[in-house]
Amino acid sequence: MKKVLILGGGGGGAILANLLPKEEFEVTVVDRDEYHVFQPGNLFIAFYGDSVEKYRRPIRSLLKPHVKLIRDEVTEVNLNDRKVKLKGDKSLEYDYIIIATGANLDFDAIEGNRELLESYGDFYSTLENAEKLYKTLKEMREGRFVIAIADPIYKCPPGPHKGAFLSSTLFERMGVDVDVVLALPFPHAYPSKTISDIIEPELEKRNIEVHTFFTVDSIDVEKKRIYSLEGEELEYTVATVIPPHEGPRYKVEPSEVKDDSNYLKIDKYTCLIEGFDDAYAIGDCTNAPTSKSGVTAHLQAEVVAERLQGFDARYSGRTNCPLITDGMGLFIISDYDHPPIPVRLSRFKRLLEDLFVATYWDAIRYPELWQPIFHAYFEATSPAKLGERGW
Amino acid sequence: MPELIKVDARGMACPGPISALTRAYRKAKNGDTIEVLATDPGFKPDVQAWVKRTNNELIELTEEGGVIKAVIKVTGKRG
Repeated sequence: MKKVLILGGGGGGAILANLLPKEEFEVTVVDRDEYHVFQPGNLFIAFYGDSVEKYRRPIRSLLKPHVKLIRDEVTEVNLNDRKVKLKGDKSLEYDYIIIATGANLDFDAIEGNRELLESYGDFYSTLENAEKLYKTLKEMREGRFVIAIADPIYKCPPGPHKGAFLSSTLFERMGVDVDVVLALPFPHAYPSKTISDIIEPELEKRNIEVHTFFTVDSIDVEKKRIYSLEGEELEYTVATVIPPHEGPRYKVEPSEVKDDSNYLKIDKYTCLIEGFDDAYAIGDCTNAPTSKSGVTAHLQAEVVAERLQGFDARYSGRTNCPLITDGMGLFIISDYDHPPIPVRLSRFKRLLEDLFVATYWDAIRYPELWQPIFHAYFEATSPAKLGERGW
Repeated sequence: MPELIKVDARGMACPGPISALTRAYRKAKNGDTIEVLATDPGFKPDVQAWVKRTNNELIELTEEGGVIKAVIKVTGKRG
């Protein structure tokens, strides 16, 4: 039996654990939290007022019975000695390790950001903070709700846009005169110009004020102003600033496998950690040049499951990031070889996203049943196939 | 001491090079020089717009063998 140790019971870790056949692998998952969180749920809590319970499940309930779960925090990973130390003094050994502990949000990197989070909540970090933002927004009667970003590399590239669209609908439903302001570090309204051209008219239609080349430098919570690195400032009534992200903070030996933002350096195709053939990293904790998103973690988990069973699987870099407005949606589809393809906003794509939300827990628990359906979808919508024709 | 900060954004798709420049700019101080290498053709207009917006100085913008080189003197950072 091969001993597989998976750090993190999020989307990537749980799918991988459930995909490995029990006849061949002894699988252990380590996670510091009791719950697995469906992170896009933050948006539905913050802007629709959904309940927190809807978007979390105990990790144990999502893992197959043969998968062992340890609830503890990782303090050190030694890839040379194949050893992992846990906070509870325990030490674990493995034949194969997969690091899937996600990205950390550093609310202390930007002056004023923690105060902002504590005052208003956000739609980004935790379900509880999303709940808090919903309460904050429901109290607003006028003024400016500002969504800004502190670093160009953050989870879910369309997240801020979804926040802008959904909050504008919330204020409309409330019948209040609140301006929604979206400030982005990019030259256009979306990292990709193709997508930017599609959503700019939609932002305009909803009177969402967009500021480009605005990377948050500091926040003055007394004066209620956000200052950008580029030298501009924005006034807010309520604001949420997506903080800089980083890879895992726990020690990893050898230290060269982390980059200067603590992300694990991996081969972008095989997900192997540089210099190792028995250690992988998947999901938001890596330096792979693709979007930090659930679909990446999911597809990388499938690749690693195949590789551990002796197949030469490779991750194509495929993204499928949903960008939704209240009634419409589109997917940002790209891979390592293709920039985002042109896509149209449609009601159907929003329904596809709603369908995905509804199937999420089942897709984590029974990935083998959902795999053919997802594969058919990814194949039919691959950038090579849809290309310039778009979707 | 003014520093020369080198950013290699070759192979990155839009807006990778501008994002890499933004990350370098956060750490830079007035007087420093940032040199960016990029292969994404969108970088040329983007860096020109960025320099204008941020009040920095574009000392050099050249293209050779498909590689765009932008040299920026940092002058626009707030004290």
